[in-house]
Amino acid sequence: MAIIEEPLALPSGEGPEKASNPMGAFSRPRKPTGLKDWLTTVDHKKIGIMYGTAAMFFLLWGGVPALLLRLQLARPNQGLLSGDTYNQIFTMHGTVMIFLVVMPIGAAFANYLLPLQVGARDVAFPRINAFSFWVFLAGGLMLNTSWFLGGGADGGWFNYAPNNGITYSPGTGIDFWNIGLLIVGFGSLTGAVNLITTVLNMRAPGMGWMRMPIFVWMTLVTQFLLLFAIPVLTVAQLLLLFDRQFDGNFFNVAQGADPLLWQHLFWIFGHPEVYLMILPAFGVVSEVIPTFARKPIFGYPFMVFSGIAIGFMGWGVWAHHMFVSGIGPLSVTAFSVATMFIAVPTGVKILNWLATLWGGKLILNTAMLFAIGLVTQFTLGGVSGVTHAIAPSDTQQTDTYYIVAHFHYVLFGGALFGFFSGFYFWWPKVFGYKLNEKIGKWNFWSMVLGFNLTFGPMHILGLQGMPRRMQTYDVSQGFSTWNMVATIGSFILGFATLSILYNAVYSYNAWRRGGRRNVGADPWDARTIEWSIQSPTPEHNFDVTPTVTSLDDFWHRKYQENDNGVLRRVATGEDLAQPGERGNVHLPAPSYWPIFLAFSLPVIGYGLIYSLWLCIPGIALVMTAMYGWSLEPADDLDDDSHHGDHDDHATELAGV
Amino acid sequence: MSDTDINVEDIDAAGADAAVAVADATTDHAEDHGHDDHGHEEHYTSLGLSNMKLAMWLFLGSECLLFGALISAYLLSKTRFIIELVAGNPNVLAGIRDGENESLVQEMIAEASVEPIFDIPFTSLSSFILLMSSLTMVLAHKSVSEGNYKNLRIWLATTMLLGATFMAGQVYEFTTFYREGLTYNGTVFGTAFYTLTGFHGAHVTGGLIMLGSLLFLSTRNKMQKDRAETVELVGLYWHFVDIVWVLIFTIVYLIP
Amino acid sequence: MATTASDHGHDVAHDDHEHHPTAKTYWITFVLLAILTAVEVAWSYLGLSGPALVVPLILMMVVKFLIVGGVFMHLQTDLKVLNGYWFTLTFGTAVVLAVCVYIIVFAAFRWDI
Repeated sequence: MAIIEEPLALPSGEGPEKASNPMGAFSRPRKPTGLKDWLTTVDHKKIGIMYGTAAMFFLLWGGVPALLLRLQLARPNQGLLSGDTYNQIFTMHGTVMIFLVVMPIGAAFANYLLPLQVGARDVAFPRINAFSFWVFLAGGLMLNTSWFLGGGADGGWFNYAPNNGITYSPGTGIDFWNIGLLIVGFGSLTGAVNLITTVLNMRAPGMGWMRMPIFVWMTLVTQFLLLFAIPVLTVAQLLLLFDRQFDGNFFNVAQGADPLLWQHLFWIFGHPEVYLMILPAFGVVSEVIPTFARKPIFGYPFMVFSGIAIGFMGWGVWAHHMFVSGIGPLSVTAFSVATMFIAVPTGVKILNWLATLWGGKLILNTAMLFAIGLVTQFTLGGVSGVTHAIAPSDTQQTDTYYIVAHFHYVLFGGALFGFFSGFYFWWPKVFGYKLNEKIGKWNFWSMVLGFNLTFGPMHILGLQGMPRRMQTYDVSQGFSTWNMVATIGSFILGFATLSILYNAVYSYNAWRRGGRRNVGADPWDARTIEWSIQSPTPEHNFDVTPTVTSLDDFWHRKYQENDNGVLRRVATGEDLAQPGERGNVHLPAPSYWPIFLAFSLPVIGYGLIYSLWLCIPGIALVMTAMYGWSLEPADDLDDDSHHGDHDDHATELAGV
Repeated sequence: MSDTDINVEDIDAAGADAAVAVADATTDHAEDHGHDDHGHEEHYTSLGLSNMKLAMWLFLGSECLLFGALISAYLLSKTRFIIELVAGNPNVLAGIRDGENESLVQEMIAEASVEPIFDIPFTSLSSFILLMSSLTMVLAHKSVSEGNYKNLRIWLATTMLLGATFMAGQVYEFTTFYREGLTYNGTVFGTAFYTLTGFHGAHVTGGLIMLGSLLFLSTRNKMQKDRAETVELVGLYWHFVDIVWVLIFTIVYLIP
Repeated sequence: MATTASDHGHDVAHDDHEHHPTAKTYWITFVLLAILTAVEVAWSYLGLSGPALVVPLILMMVVKFLIVGGVFMHLQTDLKVLNGYWFTLTFGTAVVLAVCVYIIVFAAFRWDI
C-alpha cells in the first residue's frame, strides 16, 4: 500500500533511448482533422465519447424491437409477430442490451473519467484503448448483420445447449451471435488489461488506495471481473464454434456429451457479468450522491470493501441460475446460501447511500433524482433477487415473467438509471454545457412512470405463471390486463428514454445560441479532481499533474475548517481550476492500426460462417495489422511540434 | 538526476556499441527536458512497476481462466465419454462414480479401441524439449540484459528450434492418433482432446512467431539492451505456455 | 556503481539483471524440473491406481508449476522489488480462482452433488 509521495525517476524500460534507435517502419497520422481524427484517435476522452455514442445507438437498435415484443403481447392471441421472429427479437434484444449497451456505457464512463479521476494524462496503452472500442463496434456490427443475412439468433441471450447446436438451430443466426460476441469479448479483455494497469500504475502522486474516488474503485473491480470472466465465455463460445463449424461433439448428446457444460461455463461468466454491469453504475451514483447531498460519502472504506467483496462473491453464485437444471442437493444448498450472502455487501452499499442522504442539504436536480432512482429501484430488484436465492421459490419462478421483472429492475432501473445520472452529472465536463434541467426532470419522472408501469406488472404476471419468451397467450389464462398495462408503460418508457437525446440537442442549441459560453470548471461544486480542470476537458487533461493529499481532494481545497472547527469555503472551484492553456504537451500520437486490426477480425468471422477460404485474407489482414502496430514508431519523431514530453508510454511498442 | 546514474552504470556493463547508443540517448533525454519542465511525468508510475509487465501478468491471469475452462471441458467430456462407453454395464457404471473398477474400464476402453494408448515415452520427450526451451528462453533474456547480443541470437534461435520440435512432435502425434482411429468428430473424447492440445499448440505457434520477430529484430540490431523488457515479456508468455503444458502432460497423459 | 543502481530499487526495467538469478541458478532449476518430470513418468509406470497414483502426480505437477513461475518467470525475485508482489497477486488470484471454480464444476458433474 505504498503511497509514493513524489515522482520517482523511472525510465520505463524503453525510455529516451528510442530516439537513437527507432523501431518504426511506418509513419503515424499527422494532426488529422474531422472524421480522420475520430477514426485514428487514441485520446481516451474521444474514445469515451465514441463508446457512449455507439451504446446510445445500440440502445435504440435494441429498444425499438422490444416495443414490438410489447405490441405483440398487448392483447391475447395476437399475430403481429410470428413465433420465429419473436424468438429472434427477444434474443437479440437481450444480447444487444447487455453486450452492446450496458457494458459499453460502463466502458464509456470508465474511459472518459478514469484517467481524469486518477490524475493521468491518458490510459496506460492509448492504442490498445482505441482497439478495444473499435473491436467492440466491429463485433457489435457483425452480430447485427445477421438481421440481413438470414435472421438473428433465436435461443435467448444465453443460448442454451443443445438448442444452440446445428441440429436445432440450423440457420446462421447463432453463428453470428457466437462469433460476434467472441470479437466483442476481445475488446472487453484488452480494455480490462488497459484500465487495470491505468488504475494500478498511473495514479497521480499522493493518490493512495484509500484516496481513490469510489467510481475508480468500482471500475477497478469491474475490470478485474471482466478480465477473469470473459475468457470463460470465450471458451464456451469456442466450444460452440467447434461444434457448429467443425462438427465437434462438446454438446452432442447423441455422443453422450452433457449439455449442462454450456450452462456451467455460461453462468460462470454470466454471474460476474451481471455485477460488472451494475458496479460502474454504483460508482457513478457514489459520486453523484455526495456531491448533491453536500456530505462526504458515508463509510468510504465500507463502500470500497463491499465492492471488492461483491467482486469475489460474484464468482461463487453462478449455479443459482441453474436450480432447475438437475444439479445435486449439495450444490443447490451451497449456491443458495452464497446467493443470500452476496446480498449483504450490496445491502451495505444501499445503507451507505441512504446514510449519505440522511441529514444532507439535498439538491434535487436531475442527476441526483436519477441516482435516487437507482437506489430505490435497484433495491426493489435486489429484494426480488433474494427471493431467487431460496431454491424452492426459485424453482417456481424460473423462466417466468417474475425473472424478467427482476433483471429489468436491476439492469434498467438500476444500471441504466445510474448511467443516466452520470450523463446529467458529467455532461458539462465533457461538452462544456449543462443539460436542460426542466427537460431533465420530465425525462426522469416519465422514465420512472414508464419503467414501473412496464416492469412492475411483470412481477404479478410471473407469479400468476406466465412464462417468459412466450409468443402469445390465451384470454382464458388471465394475463390480459397486466400485459396491456405493461405495453402502455413500455411506450411511455420508450419516449421517456428518447427524451435525453432531445435534451442533448436542445441544450446544445441553447448553448450555441448563448454564445457558446462554457460552464466553467466546477459547475456542481463537486468533490473529485476531474472538476479542477476546465470544461470541456482540455486535450491534455491536466496542465500540471495534481498532487493528491486526501480523499475528495478538490473539495478539501475549497472548504477548510476555521479556528472554531466550522467548515468554511476558502476558495471557489474557479479560483483553483487549472487554466487549461498549457500548450506543447506531448500527447500520444494517433494511429491507423487499432481500427484496421479491429475491422480485420470480422473478416475471419465471416470466413468461419461462409467459407474458410475467406479466413486466409482475414488472417493476413490481422497479421499485417499486428506487425504494422508493433513496428509503428511510438511517437512520430519527425513531427517537430510534438517534441515535448514522451507521454506515449513508449513501452506499448513491444509487439505483444 | 537519477536517470543519469543509471545510464552511466549501463555503460559500464554494456559493450562499446551500446555505450555509444546510451550516450546518445542521454543527450536526447537532456534535450527533452529542456523542451519541457514536466519531462518526468512519463517515468512516474504509482507502483514503480513497468506498465507492460503488469499488463502481461494480467493477460496471463486471464489465460489461466481460459485454459482452466478448456481443461475442465476436457475432463468432463472424457468422463462422459467413458460413461457412454460402459453404459451397457451398470456395475461398471456404478463403479466409476465410486472410483472403482478402473482396470475393467481400461480394458473396455482398450477393447473398444477408441481412445489411443498414449505413447508416454514420446510425449515425455516432447515435454522435456518444451521445458528445455524455457531454460533457453530465460538465458536469452539474461543475454540481452547483459548486452550480449550474440548469445541473445543463439538462445533465441535455440528456443525457436526446441519449440518447433515440440510442434513437429504434436503434428506427428495427431497424425498417428488420427490413423489409429481417433477422429476430431468421431467421439466426445476426440473433440475434447484435439481442442485442448490444439489450443495449446496454437499458443506455442503464436510464441514462435513472436520469437521469430525478436530474432529478426536482433539481427537488425534493433533488439538491444534498452528493449530487454520486450524479450522478458515474450519470455513470460513462453514460460506460461510451458506451465500449461506441465498441467496438460500430467492431467491428460499421465493420469488415466 | 552497482550499489547506486540498487538504491533505485524501483527501477525495474534497468535493474532486472541485478535481482534476477544467475545462469547457474537457471541451469540447476532446469535439472530439477527434468528430474521431476522423470519421476512423474516413472510413477505413472508403477502400475498404481486411485489416489496413490493421482495424488503424487498432482503434487509434482504443482511443484513444477511453482518452480517455473518462481524462477523462470521471476515471480520469486520480483517479490524483492518494491511492489513486485503485484505480479504474484494478480496472477495468483487468477490461479486460485480458476482452481476453485473449476473444481466445483468438476465435482458437480462427477459426483452429482
